[in-house]
Amino acid sequence: MTETLRVVVAGGGELGSRTARLLADRGHTVVVVESDPDRAETVSDEYVASIIVGDASRPSILRQANPANSDVLAALTDDEATNFAICTAAQRMADIRTVMRTTRAPDDLYPEYVDGTVFPDGLGARSAVNEIVESGVRTLEDVSGDLEIVEIEIAPDAPVAGRRLDEIRLPRGSLIVSDADGSRIGGPDTVLRAGGRYVVAVESDVADEVLNLMRG
Amino acid sequence: MSYSGDRSPAASLGLLDATMVGIGAMIGAGIFVLTGLAVETAGAAAILAFALNGGVTTFTALSYGELASAIPRNGGGYAYVREAFSAPVAFVMGWTRWFTYIVAGALYALGFAANFVEFIEIYGVHLPGPPVAYALASVVVLVALNAVSTEASGGAETVVTLVKLAILGVFIAFGLTAAGVGEFDPFFPSGGAVSLLPAMGLTFIAFQGYDLIATVTEEVENPRKNIPRAILLSVLVTVVVYLLVVFVAIGTLGVPGLAGAGETAIAQAAEGFMPTFPVIGTGAALIAFGAVFSTISALNAVVIGSSRVAFAMGRERQLPAQLGRLHARFGTPFVAVLASAAVMLLAVVVVPIRTVGNLASLFSLLGFVVVNLAVIRIRRQQPNLERPFEIPYYPLPPILGIVCNLLLGLFIDPITWLLALGWLALGGGVYLLLRGREREPTPTEPEIAEPDVTIPPETD
Repeated sequence: MTETLRVVVAGGGELGSRTARLLADRGHTVVVVESDPDRAETVSDEYVASIIVGDASRPSILRQANPANSDVLAALTDDEATNFAICTAAQRMADIRTVMRTTRAPDDLYPEYVDGTVFPDGLGARSAVNEIVESGVRTLEDVSGDLEIVEIEIAPDAPVAGRRLDEIRLPRGSLIVSDADGSRIGGPDTVLRAGGRYVVAVESDVADEVLNLMRG
Repeated sequence: MSYSGDRSPAASLGLLDATMVGIGAMIGAGIFVLTGLAVETAGAAAILAFALNGGVTTFTALSYGELASAIPRNGGGYAYVREAFSAPVAFVMGWTRWFTYIVAGALYALGFAANFVEFIEIYGVHLPGPPVAYALASVVVLVALNAVSTEASGGAETVVTLVKLAILGVFIAFGLTAAGVGEFDPFFPSGGAVSLLPAMGLTFIAFQGYDLIATVTEEVENPRKNIPRAILLSVLVTVVVYLLVVFVAIGTLGVPGLAGAGETAIAQAAEGFMPTFPVIGTGAALIAFGAVFSTISALNAVVIGSSRVAFAMGRERQLPAQLGRLHARFGTPFVAVLASAAVMLLAVVVVPIRTVGNLASLFSLLGFVVVNLAVIRIRRQQPNLERPFEIPYYPLPPILGIVCNLLLGLFIDPITWLLALGWLALGGGVYLLLRGREREPTPTEPEIAEPDVTIPPETD
C-alpha cells in the first residue's frame, strides 16, 4: 500500500526540480530549498513543491524546510561537500533518511554517514554508451543485482521477428514490458515486428538467450 | 528525447472553472435553505448578517489564498494545517473538516427534500411520506453513484453553476422591480442588534465553499496566480449574489412570511412576483427547480468532499488505513464514501435542520480559526518560504479572521457546542486508539521525558 512521504530536496537545479516533479507525480509532499531567487521562482511556477529560498547548508534555512517532520532529505546540489554537510546537519536536526548526490564515484565510506548516494555522472555514462554503441540494445535501468531493463530492437533475421508473443517461448526470467511504440504493455497478441524496439526485463542468466532470440 | 519533463495534462481548470468551483459550492444550497432561517432569527437585519459574514470570510479567504499559492497540495485546509502543526492538531482539523462536509451534506439533503416536495406540489401532486424519507433517499442514491464511479469533471461543475446563477439572475431581475424598501422597517427584530450574531453563525456555512477550490489546487492552470484570484473572486461574486437575493426575498415576501417559510423561503418569495413562463409553468416553479437542482448538486459535492478528506486522513494513517484504500473494482475510495454516508444518514435522521446548520457553521468557523493560525505560524517558522500571493496588511487580516470567527462561534447555541464537543471527544478516542495500535510494534521509541523511570510497555 502506498504511503505518502514528505521529502526535502536541497537544490532546485535541473536534477532537484525534476526529482521534485517525479515525487509529486507519485503523490508525495515535496519541499525544495534553492538559493537562487530566479531559479526558485521557476520551480515555484511548476507548482509541485513548496519552495524555501535560501542556502540549504545554512542550518537556519534548512530548519525552515522542517526535516523533523519529514521522511527523507535529498541533497542534490552540484557540490558534493555541500550535499554531505546538508545531510549531516539534517541528521542532527531529525531522525531522517538522507540521500546525497555525489559528483565523483561515491566514496566507499559514505554508507556510514548517509542512507543513499546518487551519482548522476554514472547514469550519464550509461546513456552515453547507449548513444555511442548503436547496436540495437540499450540499457534503460539496472533494477537490482540480477535484473536489467533493456530496450531491444528486433533484427530482421531474428528467430522471433514477425511473430506474435503467444506463438513463441521466451526463456523463464524474461518479460516483454512494452510493445514497439512504447504505448502498450506487451500481451499475447503483441507482434514482434522486425525493426521495432521493445522494452524487456531480463534476468542476467538468460540475457544472452533473449538477445539471441531477438537479435539473431 | 521524447520523455522530457512535461507535466501530465492534469491541469485542466482555468480561472473561470476554478472560480465556479467555489461559487458553485457557496451558492449551492445555503442561500435557498438558510435565508428563511436567518430571517427568522434576525429579521430584516438578516441582510446585514450576510454582508458581515462576507466580510468575515474574506479575511480567511486571504489566508487560503496565501497558503494555496505557496503550498501546492490537494486537500485544502487539512493539508495546510498538516504543514504548520503537529499531527494531533492536523487530526483535529481533518476530523472537523470531515464532519463539516458530512453535516453540510445532511443540511443539503434536508433542504433538497423540502424543496422537492414543494416543487412537485406546484404541479398539484402531493407526495406521500415525510420529507425526511426523500432526504435519506437522495443521500443513498448519490452515495451509491459516488461509491461505484469516479467524480465528474470540473467542466460539468461550471455548467451546473452557470445554470444556478442564471436562475437566481431571473429571480433578482424580476424581484428588484417588485421589492419594497418598506419591508425593511423595523430593520432589527425585537431582540435588537445582538440577534445578528446568531444569524451570522447560522448562515456562515454558506460562506465556506472556497475551501473546495483549495482541495483541487493541482488541477488549476497557472495555479500560483489563479488560485488566489479564484478564491477572492468567488467570495466577491457570492456575496453580491447573496445580498441581492436576500434583498429581493425580504423586500417581496416580508419578514414574517420568510420566517414562516423555513427552508423553502426563496421559492415561496418567488411565487409572489414571478410571471408565468412557457413550458416551465409559474416562476415559482423555476425557483423551486433551481433550489432542487442546487441542493442536489451541492449534496453531491460534499459527498465527494467528505469522502476525500476521510481518504486523505486514511492514507496518512490519521484514520484507519482502510479508509485510505481504493476499491479494487470501482477505483473509488469506497470505504471512505460509505463511512461518510453512514454518519450523514444518522445526522439526517436525528438532528433537526437548525442544529444541523449550526453544527456545520461551528465546525467551519473553528476550522477557519486554525487555518488563520496556520498562516501566522508558517510566516514565523518559514520566513523564507516562496509566497507568490501575500496577504496585504499582514498580520491584520488573519488576526481579524481569528477574532471574528471565534466571536461568531461563541454565539452559536450551547446544544450545538455540546454536540461538537461530543464529536471531538469521539475523535480523540479514535486518535488515541489508532496511535496506541501503531506504537505497539515499536516500543523502543522514547516518547516522554522521564529520564530514570523507564517502564517497558506491557505485552499482551
